[in-house]
Amino acid sequence: MADGTQILRRNQPGSRAKDFCRWPDEPFEEMDSTLAVQQFIQQTIRRDPANLEAILKMPEAQDEGVWKYEHLRQFCMELNGLAVRLQSECKPETCTQMTATEQWIFLCAAHKTPKECPAIDYTRHTLDGAACLLNSNKYFPSRVSIKESSVAKLGSVCRRVYRIFSHAYFHHRAIFDAFEKETHLCKRFTYFVTKYSIISKEILILPKLDDETPIAQTIGESEA
Amino acid sequence: MDDSSVSHHNGGQVGSQIGVSVNNKQNEESSQSVQYSIPGILHFIQHEWARFELERSQWEVDRAEFEARIAFLQGQRKGQENLKNDLVRRIKMLEYALKQERAKFHKLKYGVELQQGDVRPPPEEPPTEPEPAEKAQWKQGRQLIKQYLQEIGYTDTILDVRSNRVRTLLGLNNEEQAEDPNYRNNDNKFRERCGDSPINSLIRKYDYGGKEQRKGGVSTGGGYNEEGLSVQETAAVFANFEFLANQEMDMDEIDDLDANKPHHAPPKQGEEVDNEAEEVLNVLNLLAESEADGGGQGDECPVGVVGGGVAAAAGGGEADEKPLALGELAQLTVSNEPEAYDVAGANKESFRKTWNAKYTLRSHFDGVRALAFHPTEAALVTASEDHTLKLWNLQRTVQAKKSAGLDVEPLYTFRAHTAPVLCLAMGLPRSEECFSGGLDGTIRVWNLPPPTADPYDPYDPAVQGPVLREHTDAVWSLACAHGRLLSASADGTARLWAPRAARPLLCTLRDDAITAPHAPAPAVAADFADGEAAAAVVYRDGTMLLYDLETTQSFLRIACDSPANRIRAHPTLPLLVSAHEDRHIRFWDLGSGRCAHAMVAHLDAVTGLALDPNGLFLLSGSHDCSVRLWNLDTKTCVQEITAHRKKFDESILDVAFHPLRPYIASAGADGLAKVFV
Repeated sequence: MADGTQILRRNQPGSRAKDFCRWPDEPFEEMDSTLAVQQFIQQTIRRDPANLEAILKMPEAQDEGVWKYEHLRQFCMELNGLAVRLQSECKPETCTQMTATEQWIFLCAAHKTPKECPAIDYTRHTLDGAACLLNSNKYFPSRVSIKESSVAKLGSVCRRVYRIFSHAYFHHRAIFDAFEKETHLCKRFTYFVTKYSIISKEILILPKLDDETPIAQTIGESEA
Repeated sequence: MDDSSVSHHNGGQVGSQIGVSVNNKQNEESSQSVQYSIPGILHFIQHEWARFELERSQWEVDRAEFEARIAFLQGQRKGQENLKNDLVRRIKMLEYALKQERAKFHKLKYGVELQQGDVRPPPEEPPTEPEPAEKAQWKQGRQLIKQYLQEIGYTDTILDVRSNRVRTLLGLNNEEQAEDPNYRNNDNKFRERCGDSPINSLIRKYDYGGKEQRKGGVSTGGGYNEEGLSVQETAAVFANFEFLANQEMDMDEIDDLDANKPHHAPPKQGEEVDNEAEEVLNVLNLLAESEADGGGQGDECPVGVVGGGVAAAAGGGEADEKPLALGELAQLTVSNEPEAYDVAGANKESFRKTWNAKYTLRSHFDGVRALAFHPTEAALVTASEDHTLKLWNLQRTVQAKKSAGLDVEPLYTFRAHTAPVLCLAMGLPRSEECFSGGLDGTIRVWNLPPPTADPYDPYDPAVQGPVLREHTDAVWSLACAHGRLLSASADGTARLWAPRAARPLLCTLRDDAITAPHAPAPAVAADFADGEAAAAVVYRDGTMLLYDLETTQSFLRIACDSPANRIRAHPTLPLLVSAHEDRHIRFWDLGSGRCAHAMVAHLDAVTGLALDPNGLFLLSGSHDCSVRLWNLDTKTCVQEITAHRKKFDESILDVAFHPLRPYIASAGADGLAKVFV
């Protein structure tokens, strides 16, 4: 891959799976692409997915809106992996509603009027909806600067996305654990939303790193 | 008995006759008395009577003839009227078609709104032409024409009038009418015409007519000429007509059969047909044939020339057959029109010099590694490093931005790969399936949801088809032909699959030259070659091998300095095209294995290659962020489009041509796919 003095950071067709994206790190300052933040985040995750501090340590002089936006993109992307695993086990017959604990039924916001989708549909629709929103030319036309009003949209995406984690945790624990062991995604997500106060602590119902007890919920239906 | 009846009948006459004779008594007596004169008288009477009878029957024949002539002229008049209406309708229709075509052209050019199948109802955009209504109106118009053509074909026995109709069309009617009074019947009419006018002038006339027809044919193709399009486009229109003519050959054959009759019919009827007439007929036939070859749309009229000649020469006997033939023809023409319309559009587009970005497909979270168009629909599938594939329907644009581009939202997201998806192949038309290969080493078969699916429908596990897991490393290339799938993998093998069979793996293609201790070089890309009888596989070490798919043995080895990123077989020629890391595109002769041509095509590694379905143009994409369109004949760059941004050192990862429609697309590391029209 190294071509004398110049390093080409690209996956040539025919690369073996183990060599995929295996190139020397590029310092963030030297990244001149419009996708620099994504490159940087992916590069740090690849180095060590468990090192949450490093992954979520924002480079200096970085626009925080873009930083949050790019992280959320990365979360949604990696959540595809969880959705793939859930597809094999989470059936509409068994998980007829999107629930985590028994206290809430989450309504799927992808439809004109929010409706009670089965959990797997809720998962897919939420991820598809997030993909549409985060790639929307209207709200996020640029990946180097983001309007304040658009940054506010990230909160609702995070809230919905978190339900996917919580459903997997409470109903498909084996899948959740296997996935978490590999990606540390839920831990990272929790750390992320807490660090930037994107969603309120009461909603984070999963027992955190050291078995924090989930905060009690009132019974009712959540606005999707 | 005979005599008495005669005398009763013709009493007066007899009386007058015998008044001269001596005996002036009753008839019987006088007949008896005038011995000599009676047989003479009777004979005379009989003779006279027979003469009158003859005359009467002759008059009756004449009358019948005149009546027939009146009927004929009336029919002619009716025919003229029908023709007039017919032409007026045609003109109106053509005007309408022209209008539609202009609207469509305008839309294509300025990208306001393209597809009729758009979900959005037309009333939302009052300033533009009502596009969705277009189809319905077309249908209505076609129905109308069909109706009136049937009317002409079936209700009137005006087939001999066809010739007049055509002549009217050709502006030869006056001459015809001047000749009219000379006709006694149809036979004579034809003979006289042939006799009167010298062959040459006739030929000239029909030649002229032919030209006229051709012109008419072109103008049918909408307002292309008027809009000042290039010769190429006109050629495209003609190509389209050739296609039409092919379909109509059957009809022409039928008419040729009919047209053969006049050669024999006139002699049978005992009329003298001189060589000239025969020649004229031959010329007519020739004209009609050449017309059918080149004329296309105007086919009905030249057929009319021949058919008219037939009817004129052979008389009314043909009248029963001809309406049928023409009726069928009329239907054929009508039923062809929508196709003609589409194909004309397609050809026109593919010959267009410049492609413009029209749709931006944003929904992937990471680089788009591959894309493939649906075999027929305006839809495509993209495969991304975000582990998903997405299906897009270009006719369902979601939000029109203020600027030129249209945004499309994906119709469906395919989730099953557990690693980046690297390659993609579309199944056969109507199979509604596609295949994807990923870094996870799997090849997955997908059943495409219908283009009407809602992105937020419930999850249907049936979308996932069989999974092919034999590869032990990343699958980097897929090619599909006639239900067989060819894959190339970083594990050093290429494999041939029957994806849905119980035992899907048909064979494994390995480089035999590499012996055990050495790991085989990863296979980079593969494509079918030589009419699917062979497979061309390129490896990371620069080797290119051609395998016979029957024996699975390699039969041709080509070594190249620079590893190729892509290989594509030319759709018609024995030619392979490869895209290389060293910025080159190379062309390989399949027979000799020699490099037929090599060119520096980009400023950076060439990553994507696509050939248009006719094999005339080549599309290439590169990490230098540009897509280039090449004329394969001259090997010159026709257009360059800067399309994608860089992520690390990657930019464009794949390019594609739509197999039928005028779309090209590029996929980029920036997570976008773009479609150009």
